Amino acid sequence: MNEPIYRTEKLTKAYDDGYRTVALADVDLEIPRGSLSCIMGPSGHGKSTLLHLLGGLDRPTSGKVYLDGLDLSAMNANILAEVRGRRIGFVFQFFNLLPVLSVQENVEVAMMLARVPTSEHPARARELLGLVGLEDKLYARPHQLSGGQRQRVAVARALANDPDILLMDEPSGNLDSNSERELLDHIRRINQQGKTVVIVTHSPNVAAIAGSILHLRDGRLVV
Amino acid sequence: MTRRKLVLRNLVRKKSRFLFTVLGIAVGVASLVTLLSLGSGLEAEVRKQADVLGAELVVTPKGWCAYEQISVLTGESLPEAIPNEDVEKVTAIPGLTAIPYLVQRTALRNQPVTVVGIPPDAMKKFKNWEMDRGEYLLDQQSAVVGFGVAKQFELNPDQILTIRGTEFRLRGVLKELGNRDDLAIYLDLSVAQKIYQVGDKVSFIAVKVHDLTQMDRYILEIPEQANVAVVSDKQLVKSVLAIVGAVRTTLLLIAAVAILAACFGIVNTMMTATYERKREVGILQALGARKSTIFSLFLWESAFYGFFGGVLGILAGSAFSYFAAPYLGHSEFSAFLGSEQSVRIFSLEIMGQCLVFSLLVASLAGVYPAWRAARLSPVEAISYE
Repeated sequence: MNEPIYRTEKLTKAYDDGYRTVALADVDLEIPRGSLSCIMGPSGHGKSTLLHLLGGLDRPTSGKVYLDGLDLSAMNANILAEVRGRRIGFVFQFFNLLPVLSVQENVEVAMMLARVPTSEHPARARELLGLVGLEDKLYARPHQLSGGQRQRVAVARALANDPDILLMDEPSGNLDSNSERELLDHIRRINQQGKTVVIVTHSPNVAAIAGSILHLRDGRLVV
Repeated sequence: MTRRKLVLRNLVRKKSRFLFTVLGIAVGVASLVTLLSLGSGLEAEVRKQADVLGAELVVTPKGWCAYEQISVLTGESLPEAIPNEDVEKVTAIPGLTAIPYLVQRTALRNQPVTVVGIPPDAMKKFKNWEMDRGEYLLDQQSAVVGFGVAKQFELNPDQILTIRGTEFRLRGVLKELGNRDDLAIYLDLSVAQKIYQVGDKVSFIAVKVHDLTQMDRYILEIPEQANVAVVSDKQLVKSVLAIVGAVRTTLLLIAAVAILAACFGIVNTMMTATYERKREVGILQALGARKSTIFSLFLWESAFYGFFGGVLGILAGSAFSYFAAPYLGHSEFSAFLGSEQSVRIFSLEIMGQCLVFSLLVASLAGVYPAWRAARLSPVEAISYE
């Protein structure tokens, strides 16, 4: 059994804006290195919150998140940004590409933030976009692409910093079935290269490629 | 990909908003450049005119205010107030050369022109004037004109000039001097006194001191000998510059208000950008951007507004100074400039200062929006719809 890359202890996230809402309650989990895991559950039951906590985008109300034994919840904002930039790649449901940049530049921007030398940006961006089959769309703007193409750009961008971990939030939520199939092929290939992939999804097709599935209900892990 | 490229792309994503924000800054900087250029031009001109006077001391009637002292340098008409009796007393003081001036106005083809009554021989020696054409002759029926007046009114020797109903034959045109001596008609002092009916009075007396070490003594002695006041050329320049400086400061304050208003335009533009790009800020944070990176991206954007606005403002201000100078030269206030070149000052120092000022002010205007963008939480930003 692989040692876990992620481990959480009593992970809890609550929002209190006059009315206390518990999004995640006492979650203990382990995600093995190099695995492809899915987090499933109904909408509003804490899946995205868990993903944000694993990615260091948010801080828990209580409990801990360990990434390779390092407590993310104890890190300051700059170190968390550093961890995100060097070790984690994100893919979101709504693609979230920067509209003022071309496809290639969207990938390069992640390299810039990960402090990859500028001279390496173009070649590496082209290589990554080639991997997701978009070598002929380098100079297109996001609005000129289909949903599936945009999501593949987002995958290429998530790989720009050569991360250990890929965190995906409903990556096929806005895709048709063909685009979803293509995306899943890419995800499988990325996982086979040794990267840990964690996907939040409602889709049974995505769940079908996962090695392990975690179910969340009312913010708690359901066994 | 570089930060600069990302900033520039964001800057021009809303082209009309970019244009109007830049124009706001440009208008402020243009007014600053124009006023600074004009101010420097005036200052340089005041110093030049003081040199043209060729005198270390100016004897004026008692009680003259600073504005009348300015007129000694500008060539505006002056009240006749020093009687011949006092002129003689000053002239009699050994160690001085004293030249009385009567400065009045006439009109040639409905344009105002300065008429200066002078003692012909003493003046020629005092100023070392040379002739461009014709001869230097001033008597009951003769006049001489400066180069600028001859050029403006296309005058040549032997033409007839009518001043206050009296006809004078134009005898000669002075060589071009590039100062206000070019802009006057010269008459014999006694003739000028007669046609302007001022009795034996003059406007002021220019005094050259033979031994400069004795200046202070003469400043005390002249008012003792005659019922007059004395001001040194340096004091004269100082008081004129004080007035020019006060006017300049007021105008600069107006320009500063224009720039301040433009800064609020930048703040508004950048605040709108932080709201519109909230989700993009979240994406950048997810990709590893630190708070300082987000802060610097927005701050640079703001600074670029200052840069582009500054460059455009400097070009517009310089163009305005250049093309508007001839028209400014026709106003009463600036007519004494004598030459348009004095307003057309293109100082790299002024341009550099204005650009730095524009950059600083725009950057300052960007601090609050940049801070707002940097303090967004990644999750809040990324979930923004």
